[in-house]
Amino acid sequence: MYLTRQLRLLPSSSLVRHITSGNGTHYTTAAPPAAEHIEIPKRIERSPTDLLQALASTVGRDSTAPHYKYHDDPFLIPTSNVTKRTYTLSKEAGRKAANWIKEEHRELFMHQEAQPPIEKFAPSMVYTEESEVDTSSLQQLIAQGELTDAVLVYNLLEKKGIEVNDALKQSLLELVCFYNNQEPLPEEYIEERWFLQNSRRRERHGKTWKDGDLAEKLYAAIEPKTPQSYAALIRGMAKYLQCERAYALLQEANERQIQLDTNTYNAIIQIVSLLKDTADQRWQLCTVLLNQMAEQQLHPNLGTLNALLECISTFGNFKLARSSALKVLPEFKQLGVTPSLGTYYYLLIIFCRERAPVSHVIVDILNDIGGKQFKVEHPKDTYFFATAMDVCRNHLNDKALAKKVDELLHTGNNYDLIGDSFKESIYYRNYLALLCQTESIEDFMQTYDVLVPNIYIPEPGIMEEILRAIEINGAVEHVPRIWSDMVIFDHTHRESLLLYVLRIMVNNRPNAELPAQQQLPEQCAKVALDMYNKIEESAKRVRKVSFTGQMLGDILTLLVRSGSSFDKASEVFAYIDKQQHRIPGTPAESALSEYVEATVLNKAPSQALMALQYAVENNMETIALAKRIHEGFTLSEVHLAKLKSLVGESFLDK
Amino acid sequence: MNFLKKVPTQILPLAEAQLSLSNKSALHTSAVCCRVQSGRYRITVKRDRPLTYEMANPPHFIGHRKSWNSWNTSTLKDALRPSQTAIEDVFIRKFVTGTWHALVCSEIIIKRQHNTIRIAAIIRQAISPRKMYFLIGYTEELLSYWMQCPVTLEFQTVADKKDVVFKYI
Repeated sequence: MYLTRQLRLLPSSSLVRHITSGNGTHYTTAAPPAAEHIEIPKRIERSPTDLLQALASTVGRDSTAPHYKYHDDPFLIPTSNVTKRTYTLSKEAGRKAANWIKEEHRELFMHQEAQPPIEKFAPSMVYTEESEVDTSSLQQLIAQGELTDAVLVYNLLEKKGIEVNDALKQSLLELVCFYNNQEPLPEEYIEERWFLQNSRRRERHGKTWKDGDLAEKLYAAIEPKTPQSYAALIRGMAKYLQCERAYALLQEANERQIQLDTNTYNAIIQIVSLLKDTADQRWQLCTVLLNQMAEQQLHPNLGTLNALLECISTFGNFKLARSSALKVLPEFKQLGVTPSLGTYYYLLIIFCRERAPVSHVIVDILNDIGGKQFKVEHPKDTYFFATAMDVCRNHLNDKALAKKVDELLHTGNNYDLIGDSFKESIYYRNYLALLCQTESIEDFMQTYDVLVPNIYIPEPGIMEEILRAIEINGAVEHVPRIWSDMVIFDHTHRESLLLYVLRIMVNNRPNAELPAQQQLPEQCAKVALDMYNKIEESAKRVRKVSFTGQMLGDILTLLVRSGSSFDKASEVFAYIDKQQHRIPGTPAESALSEYVEATVLNKAPSQALMALQYAVENNMETIALAKRIHEGFTLSEVHLAKLKSLVGESFLDK
Repeated sequence: MNFLKKVPTQILPLAEAQLSLSNKSALHTSAVCCRVQSGRYRITVKRDRPLTYEMANPPHFIGHRKSWNSWNTSTLKDALRPSQTAIEDVFIRKFVTGTWHALVCSEIIIKRQHNTIRIAAIIRQAISPRKMYFLIGYTEELLSYWMQCPVTLEFQTVADKKDVVFKYI
């Protein structure tokens, strides 16, 4: 809205100015203005999406609404981490099903509506053993990145004896090496990528390179060997951690005096830590490789810097790691290599280690890159923000730094570098945990309101941290709000959390004189009753929570305190009394005495005697209770007799 | 020919005489059946036929009390693909009601803007949100393969079919 208004205003206002300045002499008697030279600006070349990008830049992430990938309907808005994940993945599964239908019933989708035709809407070509193929179709498939089909067509060509030229073989070799002859996850399924958590696990998990597979056959078929074929195979082996052979191949290439390129060396430097065992040997090998690069006059780039730092980050000796990193950095600065976020990520993991002295390197990093916008340049760039926040919380415990990191994250398009859902949740987990430890509860709740639930939903562990902060601050007024969030986020089956909520409410008795807290006893009673019902319901489920005496005692206390829910309190107490052999533990004595106090107020002597009986049966302190009952009521004969039978006559005499 | 009954008998011969004189039919006198029947619902004996707001308003209220079900510019002067658009809309309606079987409880509104098609309807909350998301993804993707343009679903859900009932006749 704002933008359109501006757009409409801009040209018209400038137009008006030009008209009035140009023709002003005709209408006014004032002195003619100096002839103004109108300079028509040069046309700026725009790409087809420039206008869309300009429009998109006016809208940011709206924290009051769920992410736009979710359907805008209350029924379909996810409320917990599990639903967020299932809903997006279900939607994508639906898209996959549609794609399957398209491929399965290809004859129905052969029509041509769009002008110009859009390939993605048409079913993909199917290649079988009988297909008529030639080298041009192989070329096309390689250009499209269709790995399995390209391999199939190549095999067909070989079978038919059609000669494939070396350039085409080389590009197929590159494709096969890049994907290790395994079909990758299709590009259009972004949500699956976003929620794919095993990307971290898959890395550094031993060799996955397929020995003696197509890649090596292709390599053997290319004669004479070109630098490119060496480079492709070495990079593929290094990527899928066939380290020894990759290094051997590099040495072979060097012996044959084949000129390799920088990225191939980068790939080898990346696996140095797997080739050598000790830090000294690794560092030595790195130096050797770098010298070789210098001999071949290869200019190192960002990949070299990051590969070196990755190698350094594996050094066990933190002193050596720090000093080598400090040696590497200025050299690359001299070479004119601009570090990416990935570089800073490696610096963080080199300098901020658990078993090393505290380092404030992140302060310098943030001073250096604060307010800058980044683009993705290296695969590890997406690790920076989660690690930086982790350092802020666990290494330095510094609130101001965390806010700086958050500011950097929200600068420009930097949010694109948050990585995936896993890293995003680590980031916010650390951020919220740090804030609730260091900020006042009021300030913290403001951040909480912004982030929860649309951007981030706290895990049970973080919920416990938040509850701890509330307990420390005695801010019982936030408990009802937090409880309703816990219900929505499905945290109510965690016994520790339930006990925590109850403890906070019981230990922080609301002050009735403060106007802000007047509603609280009622609200607390509601929370307690809600919890009681939830636990009772959960008995039928698999993940059930069972009552403990402590828990029931707290619920009883809260119900008693609200004043208007005495009936409910009696009900709960009747439950405690009836189930006393099943429930482990007993309610606190303070809970019983508060309940007896309430029976006095509500003139219910039989309930009071029931409480007393319960106390006697469970070996609790009874004298005070009996005294209170005796003083509080004018007891009838029957009740008096019961009282005497429970505690004996002796206490009346004292 | 019911309306002729009310006409006084002595005028009829005169009118016929006039018509035969001019030897031309200047007046078209047959009743238009379709305008009386279509888009209107018959009252039942028990008065228990549920109508949505859309159904309760006969077609002459389009543009006054209710709106069009298909929004596009194919019927403007020199506009493109009028017949294809109509057929596609029928296809979309059939596809959506069939895919969301027994779930759609309103008309299906199809809006075309530039190259995108937006489809709106009211859906019953009879299946879990997870399944709904699957169907949303499936419908959007398959229709876009068919129509070869981006398709967006803009469904809203109601808890009960009765929520959309405007009146019973």
